[in-house]
Amino acid sequence: MLLFRPLAGIIVVLVLALTQGCVVSRGTVGEPLQEDAISAIKKGTTTMAEVVSLIGAPDRIVRGNDREIFHYYYYDGKSPAMLLILLNFMRMDVKSDNLYVFFNRNGVAEEVVYGKRTSRTEFRLWPFGD
Amino acid sequence: MANAPVAQNSDCGPSVTNVAARFPSIRVIIGTLCLLLFFVGCSVRRVVFNEVVTPEQVSFIRIGQTTLPELVDRIGAPDEVTESEIGVVARYNWSDTKSAAVDFGAPGRLFLPYSPTMTLSKAGINPEQFQVVFDPQLTVRTYGFLRRNTDEPIVWFWPF
Repeated sequence: MLLFRPLAGIIVVLVLALTQGCVVSRGTVGEPLQEDAISAIKKGTTTMAEVVSLIGAPDRIVRGNDREIFHYYYYDGKSPAMLLILLNFMRMDVKSDNLYVFFNRNGVAEEVVYGKRTSRTEFRLWPFGD
Repeated sequence: MANAPVAQNSDCGPSVTNVAARFPSIRVIIGTLCLLLFFVGCSVRRVVFNEVVTPEQVSFIRIGQTTLPELVDRIGAPDEVTESEIGVVARYNWSDTKSAAVDFGAPGRLFLPYSPTMTLSKAGINPEQFQVVFDPQLTVRTYGFLRRNTDEPIVWFWPF
């Protein structure tokens, strides 16, 4: 057991030494959109009030072509950084999920548009290349 | 006399050339340290927002035929939907921001308790947008790239 203590100490010191200057941060805007709630919206039947009870109030309301459009969004950003004495590298990757529900004049959903990109957000440190 | 070999005096210890010859890895270490010293104070940052929409990705769009759901199936939901006088406009936004900086005061901080900051910095922000205008039936009326800059922002610190 006594042999393990110095070894554990060395490992801890090595891990701390290797990770010093590393920064990992993450930022989100809004709440993730629940896909089961989105799939519950049926074109031609679900009303505006039902959409609000399923997903909540929209982040934005847009009016276009005599339609009310509810816009829900969620942003996810991941940013690793390496802040060393010599060099600083930082990269931030931000992606968004967007849901649009188009309502007709009677307040019934006539189109649902949903796109999810945040699942492809990555912690990538190297700032060069693609 | 100038080209005469340097006599070694064992009282003064081994010469520098002999130490380097005995430990070739010292040259590598010194070389690496010099190279690292060259990069002291350098900083590279990049912020990528959303995914790029390329002309190839939207080549399937046919004006008067392609609908909003078909567009969403291929390239995802737009980031913004607004109204214009000619119809609903869907906007796809993305950007790639690169910035680089050099702090010429940083090397001093390796040896001195205080060294002033002397930084040159440059940032290249490259926001781009793809717009699609729909008619009342949500069929594509027109589309185009708001700004298509083929010159990628480079990582360079000189601001002048």
